[in-house]
Amino acid sequence: MQKVRTASAMFVTAVLFLSACGDAEPEEQADDPASNAAREAALEAAGGEELGGSVSMLGLLGGEELDAFLSVLKPFEEATGIEVQYEGTRDFAAVLQTRVEGGNPPDVVGTPAIGEMSAFAEEGTLLDLSEVVGQDVLDANFSPSLLETASVNDEVFGIFSTVNLGGLIWYDPSTYEGPTEPESWAELQTWAAQEAADGRTPWCVALESGAASGWPAADFIDEILLRQAGPEFHQRWAAGQEPWTSPEVRAAFETYGETVTEDMLYGGTTTALSTNFAEAATPMFADPPGCSILQQATFMGGIITDSMPDLVPGETLDFFPVPDYDPAYPGIRSISGEIVGMINDTEQSTALVKYLATPEAGTLLALTGRWLSPNLNVEDSVYEDPFLRRASEVLVEAEGTYSLGNSLMPQTTVDAFWKAGLDYTQNPGDLDEILATIEATR
Amino acid sequence: MIVDRVQLIAIAVIVTVVVAVGYIRLGDRGLRGLLPRHWYRRSVPWLFIGPAALIVGLVLVFPGISTVILSFFDTKGTNFIGFDNYASALTDPITLIALRNTALWVALLPTLSALVGLLIAVLADRVRYGGLVKAALFLPIAVSAVAAGVIWTFMYDYQPPVAAQTGTMNALLTVLTNTDPIAWIIDEATNNYALIAATLWTQAGFAMVIFSAALRSVPDELLEAARLDGASEWQTFRHITLPILMPTVVVVTTTVTVIALKAFDIVYVMTNGTYGTDVLSTVMYRELFTARDNGGAGAIATMLMIAVLPIMIYNLRQFRREGQGV
Repeated sequence: MQKVRTASAMFVTAVLFLSACGDAEPEEQADDPASNAAREAALEAAGGEELGGSVSMLGLLGGEELDAFLSVLKPFEEATGIEVQYEGTRDFAAVLQTRVEGGNPPDVVGTPAIGEMSAFAEEGTLLDLSEVVGQDVLDANFSPSLLETASVNDEVFGIFSTVNLGGLIWYDPSTYEGPTEPESWAELQTWAAQEAADGRTPWCVALESGAASGWPAADFIDEILLRQAGPEFHQRWAAGQEPWTSPEVRAAFETYGETVTEDMLYGGTTTALSTNFAEAATPMFADPPGCSILQQATFMGGIITDSMPDLVPGETLDFFPVPDYDPAYPGIRSISGEIVGMINDTEQSTALVKYLATPEAGTLLALTGRWLSPNLNVEDSVYEDPFLRRASEVLVEAEGTYSLGNSLMPQTTVDAFWKAGLDYTQNPGDLDEILATIEATR
Repeated sequence: MIVDRVQLIAIAVIVTVVVAVGYIRLGDRGLRGLLPRHWYRRSVPWLFIGPAALIVGLVLVFPGISTVILSFFDTKGTNFIGFDNYASALTDPITLIALRNTALWVALLPTLSALVGLLIAVLADRVRYGGLVKAALFLPIAVSAVAAGVIWTFMYDYQPPVAAQTGTMNALLTVLTNTDPIAWIIDEATNNYALIAATLWTQAGFAMVIFSAALRSVPDELLEAARLDGASEWQTFRHITLPILMPTVVVVTTTVTVIALKAFDIVYVMTNGTYGTDVLSTVMYRELFTARDNGGAGAIATMLMIAVLPIMIYNLRQFRREGQGV
């Protein structure tokens, strides 16, 4: 008994000691114009007072992407005293559903799966942000198409927090000898086919991504469909009004399929299937390069330079936008991004969502160098990152900008689409069967 | 953050211990004071078993029954649809692949665990560095399934033949046999076996520990007598050791069979069921969390439960028989 008492006494002491260590030292506030402006905007979003308390947020971000996003929230925390407790999980849907059904949902959620969020919105889980933030504020800061994308039954269930421009070809200017301003997809592919015929593998493709494996293929096919079959068809397809077995979808898979043949790919299809998407560009910088072009969205620049910080934008890493697939639909660009939705109506969560809708928060987001800001009032000149600056120019010049369809679909279909991306890459001959399998999930 | 959690855990532990001790002491005293001796003796077992029964009822029996009920209803659990969920599960090509794979898991994992565990337990005792071998086999038990999945993803890593092999398995393979590397978890000829092998790594140690303990119960006089009578080492093992260990073999294989039926984490982390590696639990998970189909997920869960039940009953009987034997 004596022993037990001693042990528990030690235990309690240890707990007290640990709790004494828990008090964090106050950090210094950043003193630059953007942060100062963001603090003012945050205070206004909180109704002009230091509310204190906390707000829980569930999302998918982790690692350096999360650090970047939290840096946007820092002025908000400083100005309002509200602590944002961000919980990042790759199992977003399962965690969110469990917590909603368990009566313990997070206050705010952030996710790129808009279709999944619209299911939650239809069940009444997500609040109408036009009432929380105000329709006039939304209209002043976001384009109608972005608001429409994250709406259901005339209720805005999400506002975009980040935007990625899709359909970029990343390459190394110091070794790449192909066209950097191709007139058409055909011109680029002709060059790639010649490379392959000469025994060099032009395309870098990597599709592995844990439970979400296959999404890079799905995004690629999605964009091809948008720009090859045209936005109208693409929109109907995304809304579930066109079958997966239609000739347009088939053609999009086949166009993608021409890039992932054994001769075109670094290491062949097996390597593409087994390599993590974040490692896609690695062989590009080997000597001699294992591959020379990689199709991926703006965020890939950050991912590549995270693992290879020595790369110099414009000199050893650069991108050009993928040219038109079909001259009938010129200058079309695809975007994807994360939306923020609100579940619990508290003073703190309202303040956070209002803050994220401000151009000041958008400016900070642009300064992270990771994402484009969806906010209309963020000037293109604020981008310090050369890639994002170029990307924002590409967006301005675009004839039309559309969201990728797979972010808008129900998650079962999205999963099947991702898996189809893998299966088709592995066995292109099974296309009919693969398309029928996705069709069966609708 | 971590400090907060440690604090919370510490408080939880303290509260649990205080409440449990308080419940038993005060409850016992209360019953003794309130009830006549005859009734007290009858009710005291219920006092002790009460909390456990309550918890089991709350987190096992109740969800179990509601799962079975849900499996006869549609997606949201509002309309009764009979056996439709079972019918669609048993005709769905993906579920059929999962059924096939689960059968493969059940056939291989318990057998291999028992074989490896028994082999190491028996042989390690005969060499000086046996402790080291046992420790090496035992350590993976402490590795969580998700971590094991990540570790084995690296072990099975594939690089094209032109590049250096960074995965241990392919590095060994290409150096030793001079063949092309294998995409272990993508190639459908190897992937299911690769996943089972990764799980075996986490389970064989458990089997070995149980067998090691059971080996101590084999009387030395018997082995000595057999050897004196001229039995070879194999004959001694086959006719003396193995029959005595038989109940342990049953316990180990049934336990690992249940683990094989439940297999989820390693598959989810390493392939998420792609390339024909789905098992019933991954299909169930997708039905529940991706398709949000409570009925469909309930049907698969019920099928798994039905598959596990006979094994559990057999196991319990075995325990009871052993209890009576002593």
